[in-house]
Amino acid sequence: MKESKTSKQLLQELLNQHYEEALEAKKSGELVAWSTSIAPQEFLETMDIKVVYPENHAAAIGARKCAQEFIDNSEARGYSIDLCSYARVNIGYMDIKESVAGNIPMPDFIFCCNNICNTVIKWYENIAKELHIPMILFDLPFNHTYEVPDHSVKYIRGQFENAIVQLEEISGKKFDYDRFKEVMKISSETAKWWKQASNEAAARPSPLNGFDLFNYMATIVCMRGKKEGLNLFKLWAEELHDKAKRKEGPWKDAEEKYRVMWDGIACWPYLSDTYKVLKKNGINMVTSTYPDSWSIIYDSNDLDGMARAYSSNYANRNLEFGADNIVKLVEDFSLDGIIFHSNRSCKLMDFRQYEVQRKVSRRTGIPSVIFDGDQTDPRAFSLAQYETRIQALVEMMEQKKKERANRE
Amino acid sequence: MFLGVDIGSTTSKAVILDSKLNILSASVINTGTGTLGPEKTVKAVLSKAGLNEKEIQYSVVTGYGRMTYQKADKQITEISCHARGTFFLKPNARTIIDIGGQDAKVIRLDEDGRVKNFAMNDKCAAGTGRFLEVMARILDCRINRLSVLSQKATEEINISNTCTVFAESEVISQLAAGVKRENVAKGAHKAVAKRVAGLAGRIGVEPDVVMTGGVALNKSVVDALEQEIKEKVTVLKKPQIVGALGAALYAFEMIDM
Amino acid sequence: MNRIEEIIAIMEDVSRYPAKAIRESMEETGKEVIGCFPLYTPEEIVYAAGMIPVGLWGGQKEIKKADKYLQSFCCSIMKENMEHGMEGSYEFLSAIIIPAYCDTLKCVCENWKAAVPDIPLIAMVYPQNRKITAGVEYLVNEYKRVKDELEKISGKKITEKELEESIDLYEEYRKTMSQFVAIASKYPRTIDAKKRHSIIKAAYFTDKKWYIPLIKELTTELNMLPEEAFNGIKVIATGILAEPEVLLDTLVQNNITFAADDLAHESRQFRTGVSNSGTPLERLALRIAGNQKCALLYDEEKTRGQLLLDLVKEYKADGVVVFMMKFCDPEEFDYPIYKKELEAAKIPMLYLEIEQKMDSVEQIRTRIQSFKEMLTV
Repeated sequence: MKESKTSKQLLQELLNQHYEEALEAKKSGELVAWSTSIAPQEFLETMDIKVVYPENHAAAIGARKCAQEFIDNSEARGYSIDLCSYARVNIGYMDIKESVAGNIPMPDFIFCCNNICNTVIKWYENIAKELHIPMILFDLPFNHTYEVPDHSVKYIRGQFENAIVQLEEISGKKFDYDRFKEVMKISSETAKWWKQASNEAAARPSPLNGFDLFNYMATIVCMRGKKEGLNLFKLWAEELHDKAKRKEGPWKDAEEKYRVMWDGIACWPYLSDTYKVLKKNGINMVTSTYPDSWSIIYDSNDLDGMARAYSSNYANRNLEFGADNIVKLVEDFSLDGIIFHSNRSCKLMDFRQYEVQRKVSRRTGIPSVIFDGDQTDPRAFSLAQYETRIQALVEMMEQKKKERANRE
Repeated sequence: MFLGVDIGSTTSKAVILDSKLNILSASVINTGTGTLGPEKTVKAVLSKAGLNEKEIQYSVVTGYGRMTYQKADKQITEISCHARGTFFLKPNARTIIDIGGQDAKVIRLDEDGRVKNFAMNDKCAAGTGRFLEVMARILDCRINRLSVLSQKATEEINISNTCTVFAESEVISQLAAGVKRENVAKGAHKAVAKRVAGLAGRIGVEPDVVMTGGVALNKSVVDALEQEIKEKVTVLKKPQIVGALGAALYAFEMIDM
Repeated sequence: MNRIEEIIAIMEDVSRYPAKAIRESMEETGKEVIGCFPLYTPEEIVYAAGMIPVGLWGGQKEIKKADKYLQSFCCSIMKENMEHGMEGSYEFLSAIIIPAYCDTLKCVCENWKAAVPDIPLIAMVYPQNRKITAGVEYLVNEYKRVKDELEKISGKKITEKELEESIDLYEEYRKTMSQFVAIASKYPRTIDAKKRHSIIKAAYFTDKKWYIPLIKELTTELNMLPEEAFNGIKVIATGILAEPEVLLDTLVQNNITFAADDLAHESRQFRTGVSNSGTPLERLALRIAGNQKCALLYDEEKTRGQLLLDLVKEYKADGVVVFMMKFCDPEEFDYPIYKKELEAAKIPMLYLEIEQKMDSVEQIRTRIQSFKEMLTV
């Protein structure tokens, strides 16, 4: 009998398998696509096309502290230091093609969805141009209204239909609509379990050490349409649920004193530094705005619903939704504070942050801080600044706690 | 007689050439743009050559402060002047790296010494002499001793931040964490070299590589640069005066033509 | 002063004092004014609604209030627009239209709602997959929404006829401008880089019905003169916009002129015409579909480098000047691609990193002068 694995073991296995399969596919002459992280992968999965995600790969390179070499390479070719560092790392990798963080095969075509930002359009245009390969673009208009308007849904659906034709042309294969239905079902189901698992952190103390969200994120990106992914997140949700029942907190050796939310992407090159400063202060990051972006849930075979779901991630929604979303997280997860990462790479997230912070602060009264950093460029972060800001947050949270205690 | 004046942000330099292109005299004054530095350096270079102002047939001014100096017959940029001066001294030069107080530049030359392309640093001070000054201040070390300090380093530390302000706090916390001053000094030189190498990458590096400007006297920067761009870097004998020499050469051509 | 100088002086005055020019237009025509953010907005619909569209492309104010919403690494045009809005200098506008071409525009649009609540906002999105049927339909729907909003403000319906007439007027504007820039390139001393900029810029602050005849007259007058000899450097300008003006002064001082441009603020506005078939809104949507080679419109072929090469060849230009708006992602992403293409063709390039308000232009002066020296020595 096989011994049952923990979700953490499974996670690593699946990630390794994901990259190995893609490299293997390339070797045997199969098509490989590069895709943005929240693209409708259902189409690719249906056609059994292997996909790798440059954002995942760039994050892995960042976390292994070897981003600088790739950044230097692309900057030397004229890429500005002000551009997204995932793009700079990836474009550098296209030239260097070798990293200790693992390798990815070069793409035969690219698959781009701008629900996460318009920057990916430009980044992917450049990949397509440099490698002379076709590009499939899903343009999901930014929602200035609270909900996704109907004419946007119609436009996105039109693009889905268009993409099927493009994929059939590129692969020379027919699109299998029955298989598509199945993949849609699995994808929604996986997303539900991902959401379920991250919601377990609402328990006090949280069974989840929130930095794990960052680790599991790589898998929700690349395994959402696969049964293995579904099983992983189901297992993880169950583990967390059991832990919560046993009232176990995030750490064996420390107590969860404060519960905070992290807004934005991690600082991959300083993942453990940023984590340690929080842990030292008894701060558990229990939730974040970002991981919820993969909670893409819709009814199987409902293309309009799928269009709406893909356009509903917070990065593509208006500021009012952004504030409401955080206010809800503050309530659902009983938060004591918020850490906003002013990420040099991500203008779309940054340039609403100040106003969202004010709105959330007015409505919830909980303290928050903003620190300067970057998702992968090691030069744009200062540990000293980060520590000072976190310390200030702790002081404010402590003050709030005292006030609450005095009132009671 | 031909006069070239190079007014930088922190130093003023001057060179006088005779009509056979011999350098009659040169001077470097540690005062940059403004009225005092340029006047002093011109006075010094004239007296060294035993000449008076009237004997100068033509003068060219270059450098950061060239717009504010009224006494020259013509002003030409430091890009062209460094190119001309370097090519005169070293005709094999194809790439020039000039790190000044405010600017870092990389200049590519063709076989005839003409400027083929050039790149300059952006607004940020990382990769310039200014960055080293800030580092020297934090390390409580005179700027001209920074290189010596760095040579004693036992290990290489990384200063990862681009921004001078950020780098400052990074260094302060490293010192607080017990990192040795000499290791930090070495890291600072490496950081400058990395930035300049990035700049060079934008237009490409072709040997021979020559370094001009005051920072070329700093051996640690030169060593670090060689490592980063993977080419030998030659430092001219008096690297600070190359711009002024180029200006004087231009002055000569104005009359000669 | 001859007629050419007169018209240039009028245009320079408009460009230098836009608020004054707009107020004068309002008084003369009795029309309301709608602010249009970069890059392309449906000015035709605004005009058909009986209002004057004016272009809002930043300015030179010191940034104080906009810092409340935007970090330091935000492009200066957007910071300036926020600052102007918050400062109250746009108070004469009946509404503004903000199109979400890039991530920064998306956010600025959202912040506007909180920062400048007194000026009604019409947010819109241009489709990037704009050539496929679904994209054209989407844009027609967006235009309809804009039209509805404008009708609410003006209190009257826009008729098909009014739309057709407005489109005709804008087509005339585009043709007039294309002719003007072609003719202007033959008169580099009369129409130097700075004057050219001011003349084109004036269109943003005036009623096109007033503006077009003057440009036509200027073009005709120029055409009667003999072509001007020029011993300076002719370049193609590319980027979002060619400001601050001190840069243009420096170019003129160094005898550098624009043979043609690929600036979003200038030629990109008028080099593509409307389609002749379909309803008025479809014709407008197809114009955007046909619009190419702009950093803010999806272009998987990345044809901009070829456009620059073609312009260099057509105008026998000596090089390309890149006006790189600092923190403009789309422009910064295009640069390495066309840089490589221009380098391969051995076209000299001058890269100027700009912000609308620059404290120090010394280094840029050096770059411009060095570029001239590089090409003339």
